[in-house]
Amino acid sequence: MLWPLGHLLLVVVGACWQIFMLAPLVIVVIVSFTSASYLLFPPPGYSLRWYAAVMELSWFWRSLGVSLIVAMVSTAIAVVLGTLAARALTRGRFIGHSVLEYVVLSPLLLPGVVLGFALFNVLVLMGLENAGLPNLIVAHTLITLPFVVRSVWSAMAGSDATLEEAAYSLGATPFQTFRHVVLPSAMPGILAGTILAFTYSFNDVTISIFLTSGEVTTLPVELMADLEYSANAAPAAISSLMIALMLFMFLLVIRIGGLKAFLDR
Amino acid sequence: MTADMKRPAATAWLQSSPAVLLVTAIAIIPSLILLFQAFRTPDGAAFTAEHFEGLASSRLAAQAFWRTLRVAAWTTVLTILGGYPLAILISRARERVAGLMLAVIIFPLMVSVVVRAFGWVVILGPSGLVNRLLVASGLVAEPLKLMHNEFGIIVGETQLLLPYMVLSLLAVLQKVDPYLEEAAKSLGANPIVTFFRVTRPITLPGLLSGVLLVFSLAMTAFATPQILGGARSPLLTTLLYRYVFSTYDWAAAAAVAVLLAAIAIAFVTVQRLLARVWLKANG
Repeated sequence: MLWPLGHLLLVVVGACWQIFMLAPLVIVVIVSFTSASYLLFPPPGYSLRWYAAVMELSWFWRSLGVSLIVAMVSTAIAVVLGTLAARALTRGRFIGHSVLEYVVLSPLLLPGVVLGFALFNVLVLMGLENAGLPNLIVAHTLITLPFVVRSVWSAMAGSDATLEEAAYSLGATPFQTFRHVVLPSAMPGILAGTILAFTYSFNDVTISIFLTSGEVTTLPVELMADLEYSANAAPAAISSLMIALMLFMFLLVIRIGGLKAFLDR
Repeated sequence: MTADMKRPAATAWLQSSPAVLLVTAIAIIPSLILLFQAFRTPDGAAFTAEHFEGLASSRLAAQAFWRTLRVAAWTTVLTILGGYPLAILISRARERVAGLMLAVIIFPLMVSVVVRAFGWVVILGPSGLVNRLLVASGLVAEPLKLMHNEFGIIVGETQLLLPYMVLSLLAVLQKVDPYLEEAAKSLGANPIVTFFRVTRPITLPGLLSGVLLVFSLAMTAFATPQILGGARSPLLTTLLYRYVFSTYDWAAAAAVAVLLAAIAIAFVTVQRLLARVWLKANG
């Protein structure tokens, strides 16, 4: 019977594609440990020289700081606004429900370059294009908001409505119900959504590249610029550090909400 | 009861008003302004379609448009070729194995596009992994140009977007009754026939939504073509970037932006329509 052979072929093909998925990441990490002064794979020798070199780069620390601040602040704002909006959306059908849904999820609709340019255009019209940090924070809040709304909405939709009704019938105010019934059960979803929003903001380059100014740039934007000019392995070291951070976040999300957290639609 | 329960619409809108205000002020209004400017003459006096006509007659823009379509098409085909085996394997695997396979596919989504594209630079570059292997084994005399062209962009975007296709297919595959495949097998069908006559038709909605998603994401990607495409192979998105920051032709940039937005919105609309049609057809 051909069946076992066919299955083996399927497994081999699947394995090849999985290698394809991981190849760029694995290779970047390996190359970051090269002892050569330029990008060569496989590396002739191994050393930590490029990590040491990156630690000395002032632009690395500066842009890392900007990325972290922007990600943290915009995620915090997005969580507050998004949780409120998600709460509103879970109230079942009301007038304008789908309008609300479309509006809040709309930043996902537009291509990144369109949003980035539209924002940059407006900023120039207002003379604010060099404001730096506030521009980035506002834009990142915008693009992380839909992620938060989706995750929180999913989490809240899963919570039991009868529990809420029970709380009301026992005399709880809406705020109390929210705080003691809805929030605890939705918390894993909210946390997972927060982490995903943070990573999305930290990694963004498409919109950020339109909003950076002078000293205020994010790490991915600086990395992209550095890629074009330097042929050494410093970008590889920076990339590996970013991969390590994201791996940590990834494992955190799985710990909190499982792989399901990524599959929320 | 509480006022909250009596007027759900009012409280709902009140709660979501900060979010709505933010999105309106930061996304919707700037986009409308850009749309407005795309149809305005440079002196701001009248409405005109000249910027779009300029795009249509520009060889650079036309090439960028067709190149974008080609890249998106090839990327979509490749994600289908990779998506089906992976989705089928995951849907059949035991929970632990399936989880691991899924993690391998989903984790790259959390890594910045810049890092992922850079990985391909190391692999596809003139002195990169692939070329060194090819030259060392004597298969080619000189390094192949695998980067700074459409091929490099296609490879990069395929790795970028394959997870989305896998997830789309997985969503429908998990609804496929395994007994259907068993039944087909017991009636004598070999696995290939089973795939084409039983599995694939059922997964059609997932395939369609995956195709629409991947195609539209491929057409609007920026960082991957910017890094892997090089100056000679612009796509619509990198062309827009060039108009904004290199040639300062913001009118042309606005026109490209409107075009890209229209394409993205068209795809989402089609997807929503299809989803509704499918729901109606299947109860």
